[in-house]
Amino acid sequence: MTLKMDRRGFGRLMGGGASLWALASTGALAQANGSVRLIWWGNPERDKRTNAVVELYEGGGMGEVVPETYAWGDYWQKLATQAAGNSLPDVLQMDYRYIFEWARRGQLEPLDGYFGNEIDVSDYDENQLKGGMVDGKTYGISLGANSMTHVYNKAVLSNIGYELPDSTTWTTEDFVNIGKELKDQLPDGMAFSENMGSQEPRLQTWVRSRGKDLYTSEGELGFDVQDVIDYFVYWKMMQDEGLTQPADVQAQDSGKMEERMHVNGKSLFGFIHSNQLVGNQQLMTDEVDIVMIPNAGDSPGHYMKPSMFFSMSANAGDKAAAAKFISFFVSDEGANDILLIERGVTADASIRERITPGLTETEQKIIRFLNMVDTRVGALPPPPPANAGEIDRALRPAWESVAFGQVTPEEGATAWYDDAARILKR
Amino acid sequence: MTSVSTNPGGRSAPSTEGRFARIWRRNGAGYLFLLPWLVGFLGLTLGPTLASLYLSFTDYDLLTSPRWSGLKNYEYAAFYDRRLGKAIEVTFTYVLWSVPLKLTVALLLAMVLDRSVRGVAFYRATFYLPSLLGASVAIAVLWRQLFGADGLINQLLFFVTGIQGPAWITHPDYALSTLIVLAIWQFGSPMIIFLAGLRQVPQDLYEAASMDGASGWRQFWKITLPLLAPVIFFNLVLQTIEAFKAFTQAYIVSGGLGGPVDSTMFYSLYLYLEAFANFRMGYASALAWILLVIIAIFTAIAFGTSKYWVYYEDEQR
Repeated sequence: MTLKMDRRGFGRLMGGGASLWALASTGALAQANGSVRLIWWGNPERDKRTNAVVELYEGGGMGEVVPETYAWGDYWQKLATQAAGNSLPDVLQMDYRYIFEWARRGQLEPLDGYFGNEIDVSDYDENQLKGGMVDGKTYGISLGANSMTHVYNKAVLSNIGYELPDSTTWTTEDFVNIGKELKDQLPDGMAFSENMGSQEPRLQTWVRSRGKDLYTSEGELGFDVQDVIDYFVYWKMMQDEGLTQPADVQAQDSGKMEERMHVNGKSLFGFIHSNQLVGNQQLMTDEVDIVMIPNAGDSPGHYMKPSMFFSMSANAGDKAAAAKFISFFVSDEGANDILLIERGVTADASIRERITPGLTETEQKIIRFLNMVDTRVGALPPPPPANAGEIDRALRPAWESVAFGQVTPEEGATAWYDDAARILKR
Repeated sequence: MTSVSTNPGGRSAPSTEGRFARIWRRNGAGYLFLLPWLVGFLGLTLGPTLASLYLSFTDYDLLTSPRWSGLKNYEYAAFYDRRLGKAIEVTFTYVLWSVPLKLTVALLLAMVLDRSVRGVAFYRATFYLPSLLGASVAIAVLWRQLFGADGLINQLLFFVTGIQGPAWITHPDYALSTLIVLAIWQFGSPMIIFLAGLRQVPQDLYEAASMDGASGWRQFWKITLPLLAPVIFFNLVLQTIEAFKAFTQAYIVSGGLGGPVDSTMFYSLYLYLEAFANFRMGYASALAWILLVIIAIFTAIAFGTSKYWVYYEDEQR
């Protein structure tokens, strides 16, 4: 049999297809009608609060917001593919590690021109504003301050009846001694600490307390191979002494909060950033608290980090509307009554004063911790170079090769250090 | 499909009609039916494939336009990339173990099912189930749970023997073996193909062999295997290509890290990390083309040697 199809019929068919095609593609075009696309990485608690702020904004008749959220792991690849397809959302959540790269590659809009007009940051802490500057222009508004911490299971510690020493002065040796003292009193299956051999931010506090940093302002490695060797030797010793879980158990933590050793009752101590305490406590029935990181040198390695930024995409459809939304998010009282300090302690002084009395006990802990750290922090580290993320990811297999006894700490540390230098040159 | 019979004998139409019009009149409907696939193939397969060939000669980070870099990517892959060496080693180990084992299990089960047991359809479906689920994310997540330090496998082991097993999926000595076991467990599709092949073997050959007193083993060796060779060959090529491309299992089971110590860093997982974690699209494109060449070489070897061991019944020798 044959299909009867004349030229005209075929043309009609093709024409219909083409117009459908055209219809489908209009959705991807930017709209300059006061509508703002917003994207962030988050967790269930953060998503809940952010969506509530979006509703408040829309309810106030300020305009329409289209929200989008991913987990940290998927977020950056999603953002990169959107950038490649010229379809970046208008307002992006940015991280200190990536803001320099994104700004220098022309993906972000400088915000200085909006200050005093659409964006109100009059009550902002100067140093938090500085944190969002790249090459003299502001590309991100800090959503809050945080610092790295040691989180510990307070419930278990009170059961034992042990009093921790003052964490502003304790050293890495103190940490080992406390571990040895507590080792046999901990519940079954609980080690003293998470093994932090592969945690780049922990390594950073380690080298900073020795007066160095991960990177120099020229984007070179800012520490020596000996620092990493000492670091690996330390954590290998912790593992061999039974103060951390064996390597194969520790390796089950792929970085998600719900897989962390301390969250699963497999360790007393863990490593988190202060603003994560809210999400961390949500996952645990035992009460947790945070203290400063033991000192590996002459001074604490802490610094006050902008936990994350809001940035504007360079090809935002309606830039004035995007700027208005950013401003609402960081300085509106109603918005911050919802957000509180889940993204870090806000840098807006008047907002801070307003919300502090109403905070939950967990959030109060964060404020107390940051007040304790505040007078003991060093300078913000220089911006990490473009390939810093890759160097961070290479640390894990390097540490694991040591943890599983395939190589000595010296060999593992040297291999990673050489790799890092090579990655910087790529 | 035959053309409209205005043209008896299929001789060429009068020359007033253009060549395209003639082709259109004869095969137009066929092309129309082909259109959805053709558009998909050109737009979604061939286009991106050619684009990736171009990108493999560039530096491309997704955020800025690709910059031509000549052979730099291929050079780096060949001489400097240590982790790539590890990824190739892991992938080859996986292919060389998982494919033969999977095919063996598939053939054995196919032979069991080939006997006319009652309810054979039910067993067939049941055995096929793991393969339907196998490559899915859910199963990989389940695998991660099963083989964890406190997982079901270790609980059973402890219950039966009193030995406390390791965390199988996060120990560099066992992680890859765990993934190979997961691959073997997905024997369903080669099994179905083997089953079809076994049904093709003439029964009278077995009857004749039994008359002559050949043992079951001998019958298998002298009749089943030679006659099944084309099917084995087909499965071998298909499964080898699949195993080289394996990604999901390693990605989920290792939490996207290919760990511990890169022991589950499959080639395609490494490629993915280079592309979407390190934003080296150009380099990742080069890696994709290198993988294509590796698979092509293996397939060529399989085809090249096939004339020595694959016997087709309709061949005259």
